[in-house]
Amino acid sequence: MSAPEHLLELQGVAKHFGGLYALSGLDLHVEAGEIVSVIGPNGAGKSTMFNVVTGLYEPDDGDVRFRGDSIVGLAPNRITRLGISRTFQTVHLFPNMTILENAMVGQHCRTRSGVFGSVLRLPATRREEERIRVRARQSLGFFGSRLAGYREDQPAFALSYANRRRLEMARALATDPVMICLDEPTAGMNPRETLELRDHIVRMRDELGLTVLVIEHDMRVVKGVSDRVVALDYGRKIAEGTYEEVANDPQVIEAYLGTKAVG
Amino acid sequence: MGGVPKRSIVRGGLIGGGVAMYVALVGLYTKFADLALVGEQVTLGRVLLVAPALVAAYAVTRPRVVMGERVTVGFGPGVSAGTVSGFVTGVVFAAAVAFADLFGVERIREVFVSVTEPLIDFLTFGEGVPAGLPFLVGLCVVGGAIGAFARTAPAEIRRPASVGVSAVLLLGLLQRIVPIVFVELGYEADWLYSPTTKGLTWLGAIGVFVAAAGADVLWHRAGGNARQRVRAGVVGRPATRIGLFLVLAALLVALPLLLGTVISEVLGQVMIYVLLGLGLNIVVGYAGLLDLGYVAFFAFGAYTTGLLTGAMLNTTTGAVEPAISADLNFFIAVWLVVMMAAGVGVLIGAPVLRLRGDYLAIVTLGLGEIVSVITASKWAQPLIGGPQGMRGVTKAEIFGLNPQDNPQHFYYLALAFVLLAAFVSWRLAASRIGRAWNAMREDEQVANAMGISTTKFKLLAFAMGGAIGSLGGALFAVGIGSLTPASFEILVSITALAVVILGGLGSIPGVAVGALVLIGLPGLLREFEEYRLLIYGGAIVAIMVLRPQGLIPNIRRSRELAEEEVSQDAWARDVSGEVEAVAAVVPGGTLGVEPEDLE
Repeated sequence: MSAPEHLLELQGVAKHFGGLYALSGLDLHVEAGEIVSVIGPNGAGKSTMFNVVTGLYEPDDGDVRFRGDSIVGLAPNRITRLGISRTFQTVHLFPNMTILENAMVGQHCRTRSGVFGSVLRLPATRREEERIRVRARQSLGFFGSRLAGYREDQPAFALSYANRRRLEMARALATDPVMICLDEPTAGMNPRETLELRDHIVRMRDELGLTVLVIEHDMRVVKGVSDRVVALDYGRKIAEGTYEEVANDPQVIEAYLGTKAVG
Repeated sequence: MGGVPKRSIVRGGLIGGGVAMYVALVGLYTKFADLALVGEQVTLGRVLLVAPALVAAYAVTRPRVVMGERVTVGFGPGVSAGTVSGFVTGVVFAAAVAFADLFGVERIREVFVSVTEPLIDFLTFGEGVPAGLPFLVGLCVVGGAIGAFARTAPAEIRRPASVGVSAVLLLGLLQRIVPIVFVELGYEADWLYSPTTKGLTWLGAIGVFVAAAGADVLWHRAGGNARQRVRAGVVGRPATRIGLFLVLAALLVALPLLLGTVISEVLGQVMIYVLLGLGLNIVVGYAGLLDLGYVAFFAFGAYTTGLLTGAMLNTTTGAVEPAISADLNFFIAVWLVVMMAAGVGVLIGAPVLRLRGDYLAIVTLGLGEIVSVITASKWAQPLIGGPQGMRGVTKAEIFGLNPQDNPQHFYYLALAFVLLAAFVSWRLAASRIGRAWNAMREDEQVANAMGISTTKFKLLAFAMGGAIGSLGGALFAVGIGSLTPASFEILVSITALAVVILGGLGSIPGVAVGALVLIGLPGLLREFEEYRLLIYGGAIVAIMVLRPQGLIPNIRRSRELAEEEVSQDAWARDVSGEVEAVAAVVPGGTLGVEPEDLE
């Protein structure tokens, strides 16, 4: 085992679907306490990379290491328990559970009460249930009053779109992660909500001490939050560095805008 | 307000006529021609005669959505539409009767065994074919008018009237039970139920109608506030809840004493299916895994109980001891059975872990069939007796009570098991485990990504479901004392699933109500026995169309089904009525629009 110099490290990760190479030989690393943005045109392999990291896909080649240990082949729930939590590109809540319950599900992997404890409501189980509730409220409280108070007992489907996104993040925060992976968190949000979310991402690191890996299309957000930006295209890393470096990289410009017309 | 399109009227009438012919062909009319409900005139047969036209007219005059607006049918146009549709039903039906008569009843009978002279007599009111047919048509017209009335009359009239008529019909149908209760309580029942016809007397019927309709009027006159107070009281205040609980408990304990042995036996059957329903509810209702082979656990529980309590195998040469056998007290054996069944649940769950939805249903159906086949096979004969089965399952004697000989004692044993299973289900549903099942049911992949081991919780659902199902099997074995493969066929799986669906997936009281309706009613009304499957089918279709969340829905399930209406339809509907109804289903129901998003 190599020393855990990087929090998360992808080494030559490849993933293909039939003949389509979604990822081919991707190297990427994330340091503890960093906010890393992943950008790239549609189909560049960003979400596939997330799915490989969180265990939804198993890579065809290469290795994914978290805190020095390989997490390839682990079930998604194991990876979540190790401390990598995520949101989805299209919101995936448990729509008919209440908002509080959604967040409480996040605490599942940090708790252990079993059949006997639950049926008999042993003191330990009751204490644990109370702890789950408190922790879930805390993570809902991260977004101020938006998900708190009377909303707690509403079904998730009754939320507005932006609040659904927030709830998804709150649920991810409730798993007590070390690193949180946000897949296009501002998609579909209006400019004011986008600005607010930019602050939330920074607060996740500054207040909660999380490492953040974020896929984002909104360049103002990328510019505002990123310690480091990684650009992907055709399943490979084409540029890496500060926002300015990556934004001015000719390969990145080409990937987004196409080749300059000759003459 | 609007009228009804002519096409709909005719189509409704034709469908009514078709249904009436069907009811005649399966023999329901002749079967129930003499079952008096009220006086001598109102027999169940005659009620069924009116029913197709009535229901057709009720359906024909339903509110329609025209250009996104809900249009209800007015009283005048409604009743005329109902009358016409009833007339169409009557003509179709009468034509069929006339055809049967012309063609020759004997010849039709070669195919449809229920077409007999008494049937023709019944349908023509003893007047013979040409003379009696106008009566038949007339009765259908009246039925159509009543159906339309029940839909379109002003609410203040139709609601009490419908409640009153339903109460009368229900009490008429329960003519075996209610008089017994009266007698057991020391009251005279002859004024209510006629000793000669067995049905309600006219005086009694009128009394029941007035009482039920009056209660409905008072309830609604009290206004929305009072109703809400009562509801909030029932749901909210601890004192009321404890009071209700005590009343319910007292009722459950007193029931077999009030109802006598025959009905207690039926209640025992109901309890077995409540257990099966509760177990299946965990698998299907909580965890969302459609298991069509649930009979496997029932059979496992029953046979294992037999083996552990010293039952003997039936053979042609007499009783033989099984290959493996123990002679334990039932109350020790049953816990072993439950634990082993949980293990079997894991074994059955393991191979189907990766399957979802339809595929899971098919595979579990197969697994259930395998168990059914094994119970009847020669291969397993040395162990469980094969086709001849086993007998002499020990008596579960406790405190001198013996469930095998006395249905009332069996009821108490069953009640204890049911309460235990319900308690376990309830606690599990409200725990971290229930939450995990719920999340898994809503979105398996996301639940997994949020840290829930779907493997573990699927297996746990099968194990818990299996344990409770085997408890049902153990109860069955000890109640009946002997086991044959005929009791462990696929029908058990289907019935258990029907119980869960009818009551409402994920709802514990729903299971009890579902079992009462599907097992209790056919058991109480012995005449219905041979139509049991017809009733199951009809009940499931009706519930899917009219009330897909079940009779007593789980709150989350009703949200699920209300969701689409909330987000898509509500705005287009009649705002005063429908939105209120939807908001009542969704606690604190907003319409997905929040003030801050409108800024």
